[in-house]
Order: sequence, then structure tokens, then C-alpha cells
Amino acid sequence: MPNSAGKRFKPTKYIPVSTAATLLVGSTTLFFVFTCPWLSKVISAAVPLYNGLVFIFVLANFSMATFMDPGVYPRADEDEDKDDDFRAPLYKNVEIKGIQVRMKWCATCHFYRPPRCSHCSVCDNCVEDFDHHCPWVNNCIGRRNYRYFFLFLLSLTIHMVGVFSFGLIFVLHHRERLGALHTTVTLVVMCIAGLFFIPVMGLTGFHMVLVARGRTTNEQVTGKFRGGVNPFTKGCCGNVKYVLCSPLAPRYIVDPRKKPSVKIQPPFIRPDLSDRQVTVKVSDNGIHSTITSSKSKKRLDAPDDNETQPPLPPKADRYNQLKSQLTSSEESSLSGKTHPSTPAMYKFRPSFGTMPKVHYHVTGEKIVMPDECKTSAILEEGVRSHDYKSEPNLDLPEYTNAPLHRTFQSSPFQLDSDTINSRTLSLKQGQRRPEKGQLPALQLQTVISTPYKSIFSPNTLSNRNGSLSYDSLLNPSLSPVTASECMSHRGMPSMGFHSPYLPTKMCHIRESEMQRHQVAPTYSPVIPSRGMGRHSPHPRDRDPSPVRYDNLSQTIMASIQERKEIEEREKRMRHGRSQTHIYVQDSGLFDGGYNPPPNACYPDGPRGPGSRGPTPPACGGSRDNLMGVGVVTYGQRTPVLRHAGSTLGRVPRTSSTSLHTDHSSTNSSHSKTTAPEGSYRSPAHQTHSPAMPRSPSYSHQKLSYMSAHERTDSPHLGGPREVMKVNGQMDCHPSAQGTTISPSRHSNVKKVTGVGGTTYEISV
Amino acid sequence: MSTEFHNLQELRRSPSLLTKVFIQRDYSEGTTCRFQTKFPSELDNRIERPLIEETVKTLNSFYMEAEKIGGQSYLEGCLACATAYFIFFCMETRYEKVLKKISGYIQEQNEKIYAPRGLLLTDPIERGMRVLEISVYEDRGSGSSSPSSSMSSAGSSAR
Repeated sequence: MPNSAGKRFKPTKYIPVSTAATLLVGSTTLFFVFTCPWLSKVISAAVPLYNGLVFIFVLANFSMATFMDPGVYPRADEDEDKDDDFRAPLYKNVEIKGIQVRMKWCATCHFYRPPRCSHCSVCDNCVEDFDHHCPWVNNCIGRRNYRYFFLFLLSLTIHMVGVFSFGLIFVLHHRERLGALHTTVTLVVMCIAGLFFIPVMGLTGFHMVLVARGRTTNEQVTGKFRGGVNPFTKGCCGNVKYVLCSPLAPRYIVDPRKKPSVKIQPPFIRPDLSDRQVTVKVSDNGIHSTITSSKSKKRLDAPDDNETQPPLPPKADRYNQLKSQLTSSEESSLSGKTHPSTPAMYKFRPSFGTMPKVHYHVTGEKIVMPDECKTSAILEEGVRSHDYKSEPNLDLPEYTNAPLHRTFQSSPFQLDSDTINSRTLSLKQGQRRPEKGQLPALQLQTVISTPYKSIFSPNTLSNRNGSLSYDSLLNPSLSPVTASECMSHRGMPSMGFHSPYLPTKMCHIRESEMQRHQVAPTYSPVIPSRGMGRHSPHPRDRDPSPVRYDNLSQTIMASIQERKEIEEREKRMRHGRSQTHIYVQDSGLFDGGYNPPPNACYPDGPRGPGSRGPTPPACGGSRDNLMGVGVVTYGQRTPVLRHAGSTLGRVPRTSSTSLHTDHSSTNSSHSKTTAPEGSYRSPAHQTHSPAMPRSPSYSHQKLSYMSAHERTDSPHLGGPREVMKVNGQMDCHPSAQGTTISPSRHSNVKKVTGVGGTTYEISV
Repeated sequence: MSTEFHNLQELRRSPSLLTKVFIQRDYSEGTTCRFQTKFPSELDNRIERPLIEETVKTLNSFYMEAEKIGGQSYLEGCLACATAYFIFFCMETRYEKVLKKISGYIQEQNEKIYAPRGLLLTDPIERGMRVLEISVYEDRGSGSSSPSSSMSSAGSSAR
């Protein structure tokens, strides 16, 4: 019986198995000693033989069921889950024979549980094809030992029937001497057999049905396939064959064998890339690759640089287009540049070559060409110093220095120096973080249409089929809004936390920084993901993000920036409230990509998941605390959210109630009578037509979040009031439709509908 | 000084682990052991696509052979039953035999194909058959992206 290390010896868990073993062995021994001699004499010698064989079979199967490893999965390596740990969705969907099956993240074992796998709390292990934990054998029943357990049940039933029948025969023949020892013992054995026959027979019958249906006890009891189709069934005969005749599965907990280690010695062979569309590599550092080639380093990029030159002209055009569109988008690189890549990024850990297809690098390359030697040297330095750094680099000023300008001079695009500056900056940043390739690529995305998306598609997304498109949301900074923010905060170091989807830890780290740049992050998480989809020329595994900031007109961009400034001012006035506003704003923004835990504030519950497209399976929220939702969404509020989130179901209600009592809001009646979700929902549903997609309800929802969070953070009580007021406004003025975020701002809120129907509100 | 330099070179020569790429299981056909044959993009410029696909396909065929429910597995089960499962102490099951084959195959692939490219396959059994782990090593031979740029350039020039 596998035991996780460090478990205390608990004698109580051995009671059932000891009892079962004692009863089984003891009763049978008594039967053989007291009943069988007479039976072999009177009936046949085959009787004890038969009973003996059956008993041996029972014992063997009992031992196998007890001592065999049921198929325990070893804990996942740290490397495997580093990107999955923080904000990845709780569930991952996988399609099995056309049926969607959910794989849940196991927090103990650090992997997504394969289908049919479950974590046994008694054994503290994930078990493959988990059936149940049997106390009578004190072991989990899983893939490897299910057959033995089933055969144990069958053979035990047969054994009990045999013992009972032969005992009955004995007793019937010794009716006149019931007080004799043999008869008494036989009677006792018969009683035991008869008593346990009912439950054992019941269990045997149950498992026979399970085997025929191809289900596990766990699936049957939890009703997984109730009314549905079982994707694991192979037909009745196939299922029986699978249980009885399949080969013994291997143990996963293997002893570390001494394998001859394979020597790895650079230099390494690189594949021939001439016939491939190679672009980008490395965090899309076109410049970087140029540098490497100039330094004759055998970077992955090196051979590609030459090949990517021809396609330059079309990209240049695109670049110019984009440039005009998003004047300050390049600045986004500033914000995002040093933020640590979100955990999903780690998966790619790019070595330089791994960032595929960022055409961008071609343009970058061009930029530095004339000035190659110099810039390459400079940029190289910059890169080196920050290689593989996962912490945000706050050395922004260094990037604004000479290297950038130098790079610009050589730009063949005649671009505006300012934009080039930022663009190069982003390039540089990209270089600096080779392992966070995704981010830099994203940053550049707005500048140059980079099919950055492809970076996500390959493994991360394929591994998370249909799950929350967190990955895209993780990429910060590409939003034009962020860019505009960046412009205003030019001098600030990168921080820009930008992504609310940073892991909790990061959020903590950044919290102080976020205080300064609160506004900046708000848009980033959503924007990049939205923007990305459009740019990616490659088919993606995920649905494209619905909201496309690049579709916005410049007026909206300007208005966004205006609003940011307003928020900044307000923030200074009321620290908490500004955050609230930001979050409220974000509610719409997060609409498409982010699903808070459904049991929390989910005003449009039934509607929500469906409307969220690919994300529903991940509705469980991130794995981090299972309320990572709060954590990631409201990065600054991490500490608050942390404990608030864990009681998401409860806190909102109380908070809203308390808040309602704080100021008589029209909502008070709503909130008091129903759960906050419900209270928010009803107005949302009643007052807003379905055509008004989710934003009002989202706003409600987010407001409820905030109110929950605000509550735990006393200084921010001003915020909740604001929130309530907003709710009140929303309720009372459906037409306003979540327009005013705060009473102080009665500006128009422009609703922008992105692709896919998500809407977000921007106050103009 | 020269010894320091020499050690540095040695140090530079032993590659460090850059990242790990995971090829996940393909559950489209149920819980039978199969790995996805989709090429991971991170390896795009480290190894040719057909090589990885070939490796994964071969591994899949091995696993399919190991898990085949047929005459041999049935006989094995009967024999085990008949000997009250004592046969498991003496004999290797078919699955274990195939696993040994797989282990040998992976070792061979590593030596011939992956190590020269700075990659290393890990036997899936060590990861519970959930993923096929490919360790990607840093290409230091040509002075890669190590922070000690000056050192590496010095090293490369010295070489």
C-alpha cells in the first residue's frame, strides 16, 4: 500500500483491514478444522479441496488488492508545472472520442489529472483510473489492482456461498447435537458468512454492473455520465475483456534506476532552416538576431536573418500602417517590458530560437542594419544583463538611452523617431527576456503585426484545449491603451505591472509599483489578447479574442487616455476608489477573456459560460487558491482578495449588505434578499436587454467583487459606496448602462463592441 | 590564471538546461497511452520536425503493443491466477518487457539524434506516462545567450 512520505502511523486506518483479514482467515480456518473433516468423509474429499482452492484464490486476490500499487502517479516535477501553477485554469478540457472531458488541476500532485484519474485523500496520491479507496483492503483501487479487487469480490462471494452451504449441510446433519463444539463452531462460521454475505454480494453485484458498463465507482457515484455518454466504454464485452484480460499496467513510482547518462556536448546540430518560414526567434528580437549574426554567434536566429530579409517590404508596409494607428502603442513596450512574463510564459522559456514567426524581427533587423556593429554591441549588453530574468526590470531609463537612438538613426523606415524609440525599446526589452519571449513579442505586436499568437498556440494552448485563454490575457502591455498610459508615464520604469494575470507572488511584488501605475495595468491584460488574434496569421487553437483594440478609432484611444488622466487625478484623491473605477472599467474589458469563479459573482450565470466561448471549462477559476480570479484580476488587491476571494461566496453578500446599509441605496432591497450575485443579476437581467451583452452585468459582477474586496480593506470603504451607487445608478437607469463608474464622473461611457460580442465601456 | 581560464572553458562547455518541452498525452482515443504527434514550436529551430514525429510515433506504437488486449495478455492473466500471482515474482510481464524496449529505444534516440542537438528525451514512465519530456539545453558551444557575454566572447576568441 503506497504511503506518502511523512505520514503518521494511524492505527485506526488498519482496523477495517485487520478485521476483514481476521474474519476471512479465521472463519475459513475454523471451517476447515471443524466442518471439512466430516464433509470429506461423508460427501467427498473434493469438498475441502474445492473450498481450499477457492480460499487460496480469495487470499491471493485479497493480497493483490491490498498490497498492489493501484497506479499512483508520482508528483510532477517542478519544471513541469511552473507555468501551470499560478494562474492557469482549474480545468482543462480534452476531447475523448468526441466527448469533452474535464481534467482538473491537482494542487497536491501538480499536474492536470488525466481522465479517470482522481486524487485519493486517504492515500494522498493521484491514482490512475481511480475507482475508490477500499477500507477493507486499506488501499486505493485503481487501474492496476481493480481486476484483483473484482476477482476478490467474486471469489469471496463464491467462498461465502460455499462455506455457508457446506456449513448448513453439516448443521442439518447434526441437528440433534447442536451444542457440540463442532456444530457450534460451524454455526458461528455460518452466521459470519451469512451476515457478511449480503453486503459482499451487494458490492459484487454493483461492481459487475460497473464492469459491464465500463465505469468506475467514482464515476458512478459522482454521476459523471448520468444521462450522458461514457467515452471510456468499449461495449459490454470489450469492458469485461478490458477488466479481466488486459495486461498488468506498469508502476509509475519506479525506483530511480541508474541509466547510462547521455552526454550532451555543444556545439549542437541545428536543423536546416532554409526552407522554412522562419522569423522571429527569440522574443522577437529582430535586432537581437542581427546582433548574433553580426557577432557570428551560432544563435538559432543567425541563419534566419539572411533568409528573412526578402520578405521585409510587405512587413514594412504593415508596420507603417500600424504605426499610424497606434501612435503610442509602442510605448506599451515600456509598460510591459519589464513585467515579468506571466507564468504561462515560462512554458516557452524560449531559448532564442523558440519564438516563432514574429515577422517583426525582420523589421528590427532592418533597423539596425546600417548601424549594426554599434547597436548590436549595445543591445547585446542590454540583453545580457537581463537574460532570463523573471523579475520586472526597473531599469527602464537605461533603455531610453543611446542605444535606442542609435538604432533609430539607421532606420530605413523613416519613422518618427519617437515611435522608433519606443519600438526599439520594445525590441530591446524583448531581447532582454529571451525566456519571456511571448511578452516581447506581444509588445511588438501593436507595432508590427506579428503573428505572435503562434507563440501561444503550440504547446500551451494545445495542452489546455478550450480552457481559459488566460495565456493571451497574460500578455500585457500591448494594448494601445497601455501604450497611451505609457506615454504619460514615460519616465517610469517598466513596471507597469500591466498584467492582472500575474501570479500572486508577482502581484505582491508589484503591488507597490502598481500603486504608481495603477492605471496602466488595467487595460493591458485584455488588450493584448484581443489584439493578438487578429495579427496571427497562423491558425490558432483558441478562439480569437473578441475585443480588438486595434479596431478602435483614435478618438477612443484618446478618450481612453483622457480617462486615465482623470483616474490618475481621482486616484490621488481617493486611493481606493480610483482602483475601484479601474476595476469597474475592467469589468467589461475582461469580459471576453476572463471567467471569475462561477460560484462567486457571476450575475449572468446561465448565460455567462455560454457566452464566454472557450472559457467556460475554466470557470472554476485559476488553480491558485481557486480564487485566483480575484488575485489575478485585481493585482493590486492581491492581499485583500486573497482572503476575500476564498469566501467569495460569502463575502459579497455581507459586504453588499453592509454597504447597502451604509448608504441607503436602491439596491439595498436587492442585496438583502438575495445573494449578491443574484441581486446584481436581477437588475442586470431585468434592466438590460440581452442585446446589451455582458458589460452591465459584468460591471455588476465586478462591482460585487470589488465590494467584497473593498470590504476587507477598510480604507477603501469609499469605494464600495461608489460601487453601490453605481449599482444603484445602473439599476435605476438602465439606459445608462453602466455608464458612470463613479458619481464624480458623469461623462459618457462609450460602449465598444468587439468581435465576438463582448463589450466594454470607456468613459469618454 | 590559465587554469582559471581553462576551468571557465570547461564550465562553458557543459551545457545548462534551458527549458523543458512537454509533449502531452493524446486522449482522443480514450485512456490508451498515446502521445500527441503535434510538433512543439519551441523545438522549431532545434530539431527537424520529422525526427520528433518519428520518435513519438514509434513510442506510440510501442505503447499500443504493450497495452494490446489479446491472446498473450489473457494467457498471462490465467497463468497468474493459476499460480496465485506468484508468477509475478518470477517473470516479467509483457508490459514490462515492452517498457524495457522503450527505454532502450529512448536511450538510443538520445544518443543518436537528440543529444547532438542539445536535447534529451525523458522516458515517460518517469513522469507517470503523462508527458514526454524533452529537455532543451543551452547551446553554449557557439557562445549563446549567457549573461557573461564578455567571457564567452573571450572564450570563443581564445578557442
